[in-house]
Order: sequence, then C-alpha cells, then structure tokens
Amino acid sequence: MNSTSSLRAQAIFMSPATMIAVAIVVPPLLYVLFTSIHGSALSLAEFDAVLTSSLFRNTLSNTLFVTGLSSLLSLLLGFIVALHLSRQPARRRRFLMILVLLPFWTSVLVKCFAFMVILGRDGIVNTVLSWAFQTKVQLPLVFNTVGLMVGMTNYLVPIVVLPVLASLLAIEPAVYRAASIMGAKQARMFWTITVPMSLPGVFAGLLSVVVLSLGAFIVPALLGGPQHMMLSNLVNFYNREVLDWPKACAISIVLCGTVIIFAAPLAFWRGRKV
Amino acid sequence: MNKRFTKLSRRTFLAGATLLAAPTVLGARRAAAKSDSVTISNFGGSYQDASIKAVYDPFTQETGIKVNITPWPGLDKVKAMQLTGNIQMDVFIGSSNDSASGSKKGFWESLDPSLFDAPDMVIKPDSDYVTFETYAQGVAWDPAKYSQGKHPATFVEFFDMQRFPGRRSCPKKPGMLELALLADGVAAQDIYPLDLNRAFRKLDSIKSNIVWADNTPQTISLLQTGEVDFGISFNNRVKPTTEPGGGVPLAFSFEQCVIASDCLSILKGAPNKENAIKLISYYLRPEVQARFFNMVPLAPVSKMAATMLSPETRKWQPDSSKPNNLVVDAVYWVDKYDAVMRRFLEWTMT
Repeated sequence: MNSTSSLRAQAIFMSPATMIAVAIVVPPLLYVLFTSIHGSALSLAEFDAVLTSSLFRNTLSNTLFVTGLSSLLSLLLGFIVALHLSRQPARRRRFLMILVLLPFWTSVLVKCFAFMVILGRDGIVNTVLSWAFQTKVQLPLVFNTVGLMVGMTNYLVPIVVLPVLASLLAIEPAVYRAASIMGAKQARMFWTITVPMSLPGVFAGLLSVVVLSLGAFIVPALLGGPQHMMLSNLVNFYNREVLDWPKACAISIVLCGTVIIFAAPLAFWRGRKV
Repeated sequence: MNKRFTKLSRRTFLAGATLLAAPTVLGARRAAAKSDSVTISNFGGSYQDASIKAVYDPFTQETGIKVNITPWPGLDKVKAMQLTGNIQMDVFIGSSNDSASGSKKGFWESLDPSLFDAPDMVIKPDSDYVTFETYAQGVAWDPAKYSQGKHPATFVEFFDMQRFPGRRSCPKKPGMLELALLADGVAAQDIYPLDLNRAFRKLDSIKSNIVWADNTPQTISLLQTGEVDFGISFNNRVKPTTEPGGGVPLAFSFEQCVIASDCLSILKGAPNKENAIKLISYYLRPEVQARFFNMVPLAPVSKMAATMLSPETRKWQPDSSKPNNLVVDAVYWVDKYDAVMRRFLEWTMT
C-alpha cells in the first residue's frame, strides 16, 4: 500500500467525524463573525470601539503576558518531569503517571480554592515558615503573579508532560548507546539527541498550553491580582453582563486571531516535520 | 471512481439522517410543555430545595399545576430564547438589575397590578416585574478575631484605615461605588445619580488594602481563611457559616446595609403564561412568603409576612426602612451599568 492510497483510506474513515465537527463548530463561528461586523450592516465600528478602548488594550497585553510566562514555565517544568518519567522503569513510571494525572483530572475551581488555603496570608506555607523561623512570616504568595503562575503551571504541566513523554519514549535506546560508544558525555547526548528528538512532543505540548492559557479565565480571576484580567473575562462581561453581543463577538474574533497567530506557525512546523 | 461513490453516499446518508432526526428531537420538547405545568428558573442548591418545599409543592397541591425547574439561565440565555423564538421557560427569577435590564429590552410580559397588594410591599411592583425578596450587603468579620468595638460596623468605619487597619475584601462589582459614597458621608436618599468621581476618590483611599472577590462564595472564603480582616458580604451568605457544617462562623453587621432584591417576571411568549401568572401571585402571598423566608435567610417583600417570621429568622434580616440603609435603584443601573462597569474594571486593573 503506497502512502497516497493509505491517505485516501484515512480520509474515508475520518470524513464522518470531520463533517460532524465542521457542521457543529463552523456555523456558530461564522455567526460570531457575522455579529461582530454588525450583522448585514457590514461595519467595523465594534472593532474600532474595542481596539481603541484602553480597557481592552490593558487586558490584551496582560493576556499575552500571562500566556507567555505560563507557557514557558509549564514547558520547562513539564519537560523536566517528562525526562524524569522517561528514565524510570515501566512499573514505576505507571505509578508516577498517576501523580501527574491526578491534578489533571481535578476541577480547576477546586484546585484554585485549595491553593488559596495553601498560599494564603495565614496559609499552610506561611504557617510552616513562621514556625520554622519563629517569627511571623506573611509572604504575599496569592492574588499576584506568584499565585497566578503556581495555579497556571499546575493546570498546564500535565498537558506538556503527556506529548513530551511520548516523544522521549519513542527515542530508540540504540541511539544513546551509539553516542556513548562514540564517547559523548551526558550533556552532549542531551543536547544532540534528547532535545532535538523530543521537539515534536514539545511543540505539540506548547501548542496546547498556548491555546489553553490564551483562553484561561478561572485561574487568573481566582489566584491572580486585579491587574490580571484576561480577554475571556472581557468576553464574559460583554456577553453575559451587558448583553452587548457585537462587542463580545469582536473581542472573540480578536482572541481567535491571536490564537491563530501563535498556533499556526507551531502547527505548520509540526506538519512539515512529521 | 467506485470508492468516491461510496464516500458520497455515506455523506448523503448522514446529512439526511440528521435532517430527519432534527424535528423529532425538537417536537419532543414542544410536547413536554403541556398547559398543566409551568417552568421556572431557580438558583439551585439549598435555595432551590426550600423553594420546592415552601412554594412549588404547596402550589401544585392547591392548583394541580406541576412546577418544572430549570437551572438559572442568565439574561444572555433569555435574550437567545427571545431571538430564536424557542421559549423554554415561563418564569424568570433574577436580580433587580437583571429584571430592570430585561424590562428595558422588552423581554417580559406586562403584569396586571391588581395581582398584587401594593401597600403591603416594601418595594412596589413594576409594570412587568415584581420584587419578591430582599437581601443585604454589609460588613462581615470573624468574631473570634475581632470582638465588639474592634471591627468596623458601618461603611464609614469600613473605609477608616486608621481606626481599623487590616486587609479588606470587596466584591468586584460597581455596587462598591454606592458603598463608597455612603462611606464618604452622602445620605442614602441623595446617592442617585452617583457622583462617580467622588466615589472613585473614596475607593482610592483603601485600594491598596483591598482583595477583590470575583464571585460571591469568595466573599466568605477570604474571611474564613484569614486572608482578609474585614469584608463586604451578604447576610444570606454569612448566616450559613453560623450553622453546623458552615466552617468558621462569621458575623455580619446590620447597622448599615445596601439592600438589593430579586424579582419575578414572565418571559414574553411564555408557553404557559396563565399558569405563570398564578405562580407569581402565589409567590407574593404573605403566608407563602413567611413559609419560604423562615427557611432561607432572605427577607420577604410583604410587610405582613415579615411579622409572621420566627424571632430567630428576623435577627438575620435587614430593615429596609432604616434611614442609613440604601435600597439599590435598579432603574439607575439599567442605563449606566455598561459604562460604569468598564470604568470600574479599568480602575481595578491599574
């Protein structure tokens, strides 16, 4: 079977699912676009009003800041966890995977309230520190960037771990043996084998966390400071509180565009590589 | 060629099947809405349990009309129902802000004033929605940490950082502006229209000590975990903390409150309008109100019902006639909410 015919066979099996997905996802999105340009009036007034408002600009720049920082931190932490998992024997790895997946399966809302208890002014961390240093310690760990990043990385790390681990496990052990026979040191092997060969997983993970953190709003609202308002919060405000749907749609389109700007190069790179 | 044909026929089949199935699904929903029932939205939780026990079940017993409950939809869903003409509920329970806003947008059926005993009501019924319960926003604290005299009890004191230093939690809602003006010494009857600049100046004075509560449960949890020293919360949220299973018991000051309310309205084009009218007038009967508000820590709109409540319940109720208490003007907010909320959010971010 050549690759073209297998692609055609895949297409036949994939088409019903794709058609249903397209039928469900595309019409509402088109309607959002339609509403954002004021229905049939075809005006960009809503975009103009949104883009010139300083509330929107502050929110957009904060959204990009939160997305960038939390994606980088999650990628770093997730890579370390995945690397450690890939070097464990299979049975141990299965047990450790449960520890990674347990928070992944827990409701974000519940985790946020738990972090408030852990990181709060009289929370577990500060209480332990106060006891250890025998003085009143009240580190500001929540309702600021620190608390926000703890919450975001906790939410995003499992999403990085899964694809990166898959990539790492797919690396043929013979490659490492060959490298070490040739006299490569640990660091050299890491940079010339592990990192390049894990890139498909890294990009898949990065794509997911960027998209998820661009749309995040519960964690920033509950663990972040007042400056950490996200575009999603603004969409919610216009959509649910003041029923200004054209504005909500215009912001959604901008958010969607931002996702595409970030996601398209990542997806394109993967498409070429795999 | 042959392959291509199979693919096309599969597509056609699926599309056809979807089209055939659609009316069956929609039809089933229509058939469920018979005229011996009425559908009302509810906030859920223990509030909903009390509503069933005190209002809906006795209503069904008396009239034979079955009451269906639908989860609280939000005004956005009501708007969607009006746009598509697929009205799935009859009676909407919502805050006075939502109800007044919906009234301006023409979402509600008009209500016959003869349905209600207006002189008996603390807040008079409107032409297309009626207030049935009130609740209070005020200062809350942990009485184990701050005894009598050590905590703020009015809004003036809440904004006084010298006498009562410490962190405060406030709901992230523009209702804080009314509070700030009361704290700045504006008399309750002179609050509207709001002097926004003055309100923001007053809020500036405590801004660095505020932890914003993004949702109502947080107004309680921030106090219970010791994250803040004092907070603005609601009487109906503080009372459950004093009961078994409520966690750290908190205290609430009735010395000065902002009183907000919930209203009932009938959706325009409601499938069971007659039954909806019956249910709303039943809701407003003093004996029904007394039964319901003995179960939930909110206050009845009926003055007669208020006298029928148990003394224990009355301890937790705001007094709307107290001169330094403010009753929120929902009609003011209908036009102003969007612009003021945007300014408020921008102010909180910087």
